[in-house]
Amino acid sequence: MPAESSKAPVPRHGPSSRATALITPNRDSVTTIREDGSRRFLHPADVQGRFTTVRRASALALIAIYLALPWVKVGGYPAVFLDVAERRFHLFGWTLAAQDLWLLFFLITGLGFTLFLLTSLFGRVWCGWACPQTVFLEHLFRRVERWLEGDAHNRRALDAAPWNAIKIVRRGAKQLVFLVLSAGIAHLFLAYFVSIPNLWGMMCQSPGEHWGLFLFVAIATGILYFNFSWFREQLCIVICPYGRLQSALIDDNSLIIGYDSTRGEPRGKAGSAGAGACVDCNRCVQVCPTGIDIRQGLQIECIGCAACIDACDQVMTRLKRPTGLVRYDSTEGFLGRRTRWFRPRTAFYCVMLTVGGAVALWAFSGVRPASMSVTRMQGAPYFVAADHVRNQFLVRVVNKTTSPARYVITASDLPKETKVIGGEEPLEVGPMAEELRPLIVEVPRDHYTGTGRFQFEVNVQDQAHTFELKRQVQWVGPDPELLKEDASAK
Amino acid sequence: MSDRKLTIEYNDRIVRQFLIATLIWGAVGMLVGVLIASQLNFFKLNFSLPWLTFGRLRPLHTNAVIFAFVGNMMFGGVYYSTQRLVKARLASDFLSNLHFWGWQAIIVAAAITLPLGLTRGKEYAELIWPINIAVAVIWVVFAVNFFWTLAKRNEPSLYVAIWFYIATIITVAMLYIVNHLSIPTSLTHSYPVFAGVQDALVQWWYGHNAVAFFLTTPILGIMYYFVPKAAERPVYSYRLSVIHFWSLVFIYIWAGPHHLLNTALPNWLQMLGMTFSLMLWAPSWGGMLNGLLTLRGAWHKLRTDPVLKFFAAAVTFYGMSTFEGPLLSIKSVNALGHYTDWIIGHVHAGALGWNGFMAAGMVYWLLPRLWNKPLHSTSLANLHFWIGTVGILLYVAAMWTSGITQGLMLNATTENGTVLAYPNFLDTLNTIRPMMLMRVVGGGLYLTGWILLAYNFIRTVSGAQAVDGTVEVFVEDHPEQKPLGLFGTFLNPPVVFTGLGLVFACSWLFGGAALQILGITGTALCVILAFVHYQAKNSGWGEWYDRLLVNIAPFTVLVFIAVVIGGLIQIIPTVIMNRASNVEDRIEIPYTPLELAGRDIYVREGCYNCHSQMIRTLVSDVLRYGDYSRLGESIYDHPYQWGSKRTGPDLAREGGKYPNSWHFNHMENPRSMSIGSNMPNYPWLYQNKTDVAALTSKINVLRKLGVPYPEWSADDIAAQVATQSKTIADDLKASQAYVAQDREIVALIAYLQKLGKSQPVTPTVASAKAAKP
Amino acid sequence: MSTPLNPNSLNEEPVRPHSYDGIREFDKRLPNWWLLTFYGTIVFAIGYWFYYAHTSLAPSPNAAIEAKMAQIQSTKLASSPVLDDDVLWKMSRTASMVEAGAATFKSTCVSCHGEKLTGGVGPNLVDQTWIHGGRPTQILATVTNGVAAKGMPTWGPVLGGKRISEVVSFILSKHDPAEPGMGAQTASTNPYNQP
Repeated sequence: MPAESSKAPVPRHGPSSRATALITPNRDSVTTIREDGSRRFLHPADVQGRFTTVRRASALALIAIYLALPWVKVGGYPAVFLDVAERRFHLFGWTLAAQDLWLLFFLITGLGFTLFLLTSLFGRVWCGWACPQTVFLEHLFRRVERWLEGDAHNRRALDAAPWNAIKIVRRGAKQLVFLVLSAGIAHLFLAYFVSIPNLWGMMCQSPGEHWGLFLFVAIATGILYFNFSWFREQLCIVICPYGRLQSALIDDNSLIIGYDSTRGEPRGKAGSAGAGACVDCNRCVQVCPTGIDIRQGLQIECIGCAACIDACDQVMTRLKRPTGLVRYDSTEGFLGRRTRWFRPRTAFYCVMLTVGGAVALWAFSGVRPASMSVTRMQGAPYFVAADHVRNQFLVRVVNKTTSPARYVITASDLPKETKVIGGEEPLEVGPMAEELRPLIVEVPRDHYTGTGRFQFEVNVQDQAHTFELKRQVQWVGPDPELLKEDASAK
Repeated sequence: MSDRKLTIEYNDRIVRQFLIATLIWGAVGMLVGVLIASQLNFFKLNFSLPWLTFGRLRPLHTNAVIFAFVGNMMFGGVYYSTQRLVKARLASDFLSNLHFWGWQAIIVAAAITLPLGLTRGKEYAELIWPINIAVAVIWVVFAVNFFWTLAKRNEPSLYVAIWFYIATIITVAMLYIVNHLSIPTSLTHSYPVFAGVQDALVQWWYGHNAVAFFLTTPILGIMYYFVPKAAERPVYSYRLSVIHFWSLVFIYIWAGPHHLLNTALPNWLQMLGMTFSLMLWAPSWGGMLNGLLTLRGAWHKLRTDPVLKFFAAAVTFYGMSTFEGPLLSIKSVNALGHYTDWIIGHVHAGALGWNGFMAAGMVYWLLPRLWNKPLHSTSLANLHFWIGTVGILLYVAAMWTSGITQGLMLNATTENGTVLAYPNFLDTLNTIRPMMLMRVVGGGLYLTGWILLAYNFIRTVSGAQAVDGTVEVFVEDHPEQKPLGLFGTFLNPPVVFTGLGLVFACSWLFGGAALQILGITGTALCVILAFVHYQAKNSGWGEWYDRLLVNIAPFTVLVFIAVVIGGLIQIIPTVIMNRASNVEDRIEIPYTPLELAGRDIYVREGCYNCHSQMIRTLVSDVLRYGDYSRLGESIYDHPYQWGSKRTGPDLAREGGKYPNSWHFNHMENPRSMSIGSNMPNYPWLYQNKTDVAALTSKINVLRKLGVPYPEWSADDIAAQVATQSKTIADDLKASQAYVAQDREIVALIAYLQKLGKSQPVTPTVASAKAAKP
Repeated sequence: MSTPLNPNSLNEEPVRPHSYDGIREFDKRLPNWWLLTFYGTIVFAIGYWFYYAHTSLAPSPNAAIEAKMAQIQSTKLASSPVLDDDVLWKMSRTASMVEAGAATFKSTCVSCHGEKLTGGVGPNLVDQTWIHGGRPTQILATVTNGVAAKGMPTWGPVLGGKRISEVVSFILSKHDPAEPGMGAQTASTNPYNQP
C-alpha cells in the first residue's frame, strides 16, 4: 500500500475563511460526533455527474416499485400482500399459507448471499444505491431540504443564523414536510400487510377502531421522522450491522471507492512544481453525505454513493486532467494490477446462491394448493372390539386456493379386509378454509398378526387428481400374541 | 528512588495449553451441537440409546460450548493479557497448572456424567454436586492465581480489561455457588435447596448472568486487549469504558427475570426483568461502540487481516444480539418469541458470532506470537471467516424464520379469538421442520470453519519453537503511592451519590406510602446534587477514579457491591415470602413416592429441554394448555421444571389429558401416537426397574427442605409404590398394554398423570395474603 | 488502496497519559444521543414501574388474563344463545341451523355415526337409547367433552360452540321432545331462555 503521502497531513483548518465552517475529517474521530459529544450536522454540497444522474434515476424507480407493489393487483390480490391477520401471504399472484411461512428463510438467506456476493464484487453498492435508508434520505428528504433551505452554503448559514421568523418558517416547513413524508412511508409499509383498500377504510375510521395498528403507524412515523430528520448517517455508522460488516466482507479485489494516491499525491495547486493531480480543493469532502475524506482511505462511514467520484471528475474535467482520480476500483486496481473478478470466494458465493436457489425452487415447487395433517383423535390410542382393533384419526385439510375444493381421502398399505371409514365422501373445503375429517381404521382380529406394529399411508388428493399429499402413519394396537392369549383366557 | 531493572518472563506455556484445549473442546462442543440439531430432524439419530438421546446430549452441548470452549478460551486470553497488562508473570506456576488440569478433568467428568443421565435438571447447571464442588474449587484457584498476580504487578494502574476480569471472577463465583446449593441424596444425586418459583428465579439469575459474566464480560476484557493490539490503534474512549463497565455490571444482574416473563413469577420481578433489560441496551452498545470505533482507524486493514475481520464481525454480532436481547425482553415480543427457536437463534448469534469469532480472532493473533512462526495460511483463515459467516447466516436466518413462524401459529386464533387456529401442536412443529434441517447445514458449515482453524493451528504449531514473552521493567522501590483506604473508597462523591441514590430508589420501589415519597424525593435530590456538584467542580470523578485504579481491593469491593445488589433485592424477598403458607389460590399436592421416582426419571432424561411446565398468562397458552399456572403449583418442585423451550407441548396440566395407555405407547414410539413427532423413543424405560431403594433418602432430604412428607420408613415407601404401580399396570393391562409394574415407565406415567393436580388453598390463608406482593 | 496518512499519527487528539503494554486510550466524549438513549431507558423504566406498581390503571397479569378469558367466554356465549334444552329444541326446528348442522355432521360425524345416523363405529343416534343421556344439553355435553373411553373425541376445542350446537340441532331434528329420556319436562325452567 502506498503510504508515501504521509508527509502531507490534512490541514486541521481549511485554507480559506469560509472553509473553517467546513468539516475536516480525520482518522481518529467520527466527523459527525463533535468533541463535546453533540451531533454535527452535515450539509453535503450539490453534486452533478454521471453516477449522480443514474443513482437518482434508479432511486426514483425503486420508490416507484415500493409504491406499486401494494397497489398493482396480480391474480385478484395486490402484488405483495402479507395478510398476517388471515395468515395468507400473496406474492405476485401466488398465495402461501402460514404453513408455508418457513419459505421466508429463502428470502432472508437469498438476500444475505446476494449481499455477500455483491459486496465481494462491488463493495457497498447496496448501501449507496438500493438501501431504502439511502433511497429515501438522499433522494427524498435531502431533496426537500435542498428545495426549502437552499444549497450547502445557505443551509450552513441558516444553521448559524439566530432564530428569527424566516428561520422558524423555513425550519418549521421542512420539519412538517418531513413528518408528512414519514407518515406516508409508515402507511405505505402498513399497506403491505393490510392492503390499500383496507388501509384506506381504516384511515377513514376513528383510531379507536384499530387502536393497535394506529399506534403502530404512529410509532413507525415517529421513528422514521427521527431517523430521516435527525439521525441519518448515524444509523449506517452505528446501528446497521451490514454497514459494520462490510469491510470484513470486502477483499483486495472488491470494487470500492478510492483515491488514487499514486496519481494524486503530493497535493498542490494546479501548476505548482512537483504537485500531483489532486489540487486539494476538498470538493470530495464537501459532497460526502457521511462526512469523511475519501483520500484517507476506505472508512467505516463510506456507503459507496459515488458522490465524491462525480465531484472529483468535475474538477478534473475543468482542469483538463484525466478523470478517475477518485474512482470505483479494487485495491489491486489502485496498485496498478488487474482486478480478479473470479475468485474462490465469489465462486463459493455463486455456488451457495445456485444451491440455495435450487433448494428454494424445489421447496416452492413442493408447495401444493392444499396441505394436510393427520393426528390421532384424543383419548385411548386404540380400541379392541369383538371382531376388530380400531385406530381413530383426524385428517385436517387446508385449502390454500381462493375457490372451494373437494378432496378425496384414502388410506393404503393396510392389512387385508381392513375397513377404512371416513373416506367415502369427498371432503369439501371452502376457499382459504380448513376442514377436519375423522378417519377410522378397523383391522379385523383375524388379520391382526405379526408384531402389531406397521406403517400405513394416508393420502389426500384433489378431485381432479392433480396432486397428492401423503403421510406415513403408525398403527398402534396391542401385541397380537398377547391379545390372543388374553382372549382365550376370557 | 532506587529503581531496579528486572526482566520478567511470562508464563505463556499455560496460555498455549488453554489454546489447545479451546481448539479441542470447541470442536467437540460444536460437533455435539450438530448431532443434536440433526436429532431434531431425524429422530433415528437418537439410536434409541439412553446416552445418545437429545435430552441428555443437549446439556452436554451447552456445557461444552460455554464452560469448555469459551471457558478455556477465556482463561487463555485472560492469562495472556493480564500478565502483559500488569507486567508480571502469573503468580504461581503450580496454581496455573492446577487450574488447567483441574478444569480439563471437570470437563471430562461432565462429558461422562451427562450422557449417563446424572444431572441436576437445571439448565447450564446440570453437573452433579461432586463436580460442582470441583468447579468451585478450581474457580477459587483461578481467582487466587489472578489476584495474586495483580498483587505482584509492576504496573500500578489497572487497565479496563482487568476491570472486566475482576467482575467476571467474583460474579461467577457468587452465581455458581448460590445456584448450586443443594443437599445430596446420594453420591451422584442431590436436590436443590430452592423449589418452584424460587428455584426458577435463582436459576435465571444464574443462567442469564452466565451469559453476562461468562460469555460477555471476560470476552469484552479480551476485546479491550486484543482489538487495540491487533488494530494497532488507541482505544476510542476511556470514559466510555468507565461508564459502560459500571453500568453493565450493575444492570446485568437485574435482568434475569426476563427469562420468566408472563409466567407465575411475581409481577414486580417480571417488571424489573423487563425494564433492566431495556436499560442494558445502551451499556452493551457502549462496549460495541468502543470496539468498533477503535477498529475504525484501522478500517482499511480489515480487507487483508483475518484477525481484524473476525474482531469486526464479532463486535457486530455482539451489537446485534445485545439489541435483540432487550427487544425480546419486552413482554409482548417475548410472548411471541419465548419457548421458540427465535431464542435459539438469538443465543447462537451471540455464541457463534461474538464468542466464536472473538475466539478465532484471538487464536489467529496469538499463534504466531506464542510459537514464533507465521500463521501457516492466511487464506485458510480467510476461508474460515467466509464459511463461518455463511454458517451463521444460515443458522440465524433459519432460527428466526422458524421461531417467528411457530410463534405466530401457536398464538393464532380464529372465530373472534375464541378458538386456536392451530390446536394441534404438531402442525406447528411440522411446519418448521425444514428450518431444523437448514440449521444443521448452517451449524455444519460453522464447524467446518472451526476445523479449518484446527488444521491451520496444527500446521502452524508443528515443528515450531514455543516462545515465552518477556518484558523489561523498572521496579520502583517505594510503597504504593495513593492508598485509598476505607474512607477514600466509600466516602467520595461518586460512591456516595450512587449509593444514596440507590437506597432512595429502592425505598421508592419497594417501600410503603411514606417511604415511597421519601424515596422519590431522595432519588431526585441525589441526582440534582450530583449534577450540581460536578458542574461546580469541573474536575469530576476522574481524579478519584484514577486513584481507585491503583487500588485493587477497593476496586474489587466496589465491583462486588455493584453486582450483588440486584441479586439480593430480587432473591431475598422471593425466598422469604413465597413459602407454602403464603400461596394464593392453589397449592401443589406433594408427589407420592412413585410419582417422585417418575419425576426423577423425567429430570434424568432431560425432558425439560423440550417441554415446559408453565402455562403463561397469555390467551393462546390458556386456550391450548388450560388454566394459567399458579405460583403455588410448583412450590414443592426441587428442582423446578418450568423449562425454557417448547420443542414439544407444555406439560403443566398433562395429567389426565390422555389415558395411561396413550403414554405407554407414546414413550415407546412417540410417532405411533403423535404423527410427525420428532421425540426420541425411550425403550429402556420398559426394561429398567424403578429405583425404589433411593426414594427413602430422597424423601428424607425433601422433608428437610420443607416438603410436607410424613416420617415414612423404607417399607412404607415400598408399599405405597407397590400399590400405586399395581393400579397403573392393571389399568394398562385392561387396555391390552402389558408391562411389569416395577418398570420405570410405570413411575413415569404416574408422574405425568399427576402433572397439574393441585388443591385449592383455604380462603382464610388466601385472604390473609391478599395484600400486594 | 491508498493509506495516505500514517494511521498511527494521532492527529493531535488527546490521549490518556498512560500506556498499557503499548495500548493507549483516547478519552473521547460519547455521542450525546447514546447517553440520551441510556437516560431515556431509565426514565422509561421509572415510568413503567410507576404505571404498573403505583397506579391502579393497569391490572395485574393474572387479572388481565382472567379478564381476557372472561371476554372470550362472553364472546362465545354471545355468538350462540344461552343453551338449555328448550333453546336447543327450538334451534332443532330452525331450518338454517339444522342445515348447517347437517353439513358439519356430514363432514365430521358420518364416519362413525353413519350417513343415516344409524350408527357404525359409534352408536345409533336415531333410536331411543341414549348411553350418555338424551336431554339436549346432555347430548351437547357429550359432543363437546367426548367420551375418551369409547373413542368419542373432545370436539369442543376443535369445532367450537357454534358448530356443535348446530350439529346437536341436526340430531334433535330427528327426534321429538316427547320421546322417552329426551326430557321435554325440563324445558322452560330457565327464565332467560328467550331465543
